[in-house]
Amino acid sequence: MAETRKNPINPALALAAAVAGWLVPGLGHVLLRKWDKAVVYFLAVATLALVGLWMRGNVFSSNAADAFDMLGFLADIGNGIFYFLSGTINPAGADVSKAAGDYGTRMFATAGVLNLLCVLEALQIGFGSKEEGHAAG
Amino acid sequence: MILNHFQTMVIFALAVSLVFAFLSKNTMTERVRYAVWAFLAFLVVAIGIGWLMYPFSH
Repeated sequence: MAETRKNPINPALALAAAVAGWLVPGLGHVLLRKWDKAVVYFLAVATLALVGLWMRGNVFSSNAADAFDMLGFLADIGNGIFYFLSGTINPAGADVSKAAGDYGTRMFATAGVLNLLCVLEALQIGFGSKEEGHAAG
Repeated sequence: MILNHFQTMVIFALAVSLVFAFLSKNTMTERVRYAVWAFLAFLVVAIGIGWLMYPFSH
């Protein structure tokens, strides 16, 4: 079994890492010096978000018409900078009349939720509540 | 961007498997094992459900 350790508690760094990690996926883990996690999280979230946008997925706005739209917005906003740049990345906008657009909507939402999980992990690491093996980056 | 459904599924499965592996496992060996297992599980389950639904499409 791998030997585990906890990181020292640093609330300010934890909060900074959470905000940075939300804005730019992986940046929070860069601040925490978890290099391998930062690279993997950025590549995974960026790939899903960009493919979702290029497939012309729907990006939900804050003025939601119903609860499902609000859930979609909460998932999408997790993408951070990719949410704010979605109009620039895909200027043509959403087209969910085709299956590809529907898949794109799900991929973009998944990217947001994954990034929110990464933000929660950055908070855990910063607050010293996550045990990590020595092999962890 | 023109991707077929299988390529889309592979990208989705790969990204999610990698993030889950790095979130839940500590050592690189565990991460690789978990990522490969989750990736294959995504594909097998999706293709299996696809074949289960195939008769209803005709």
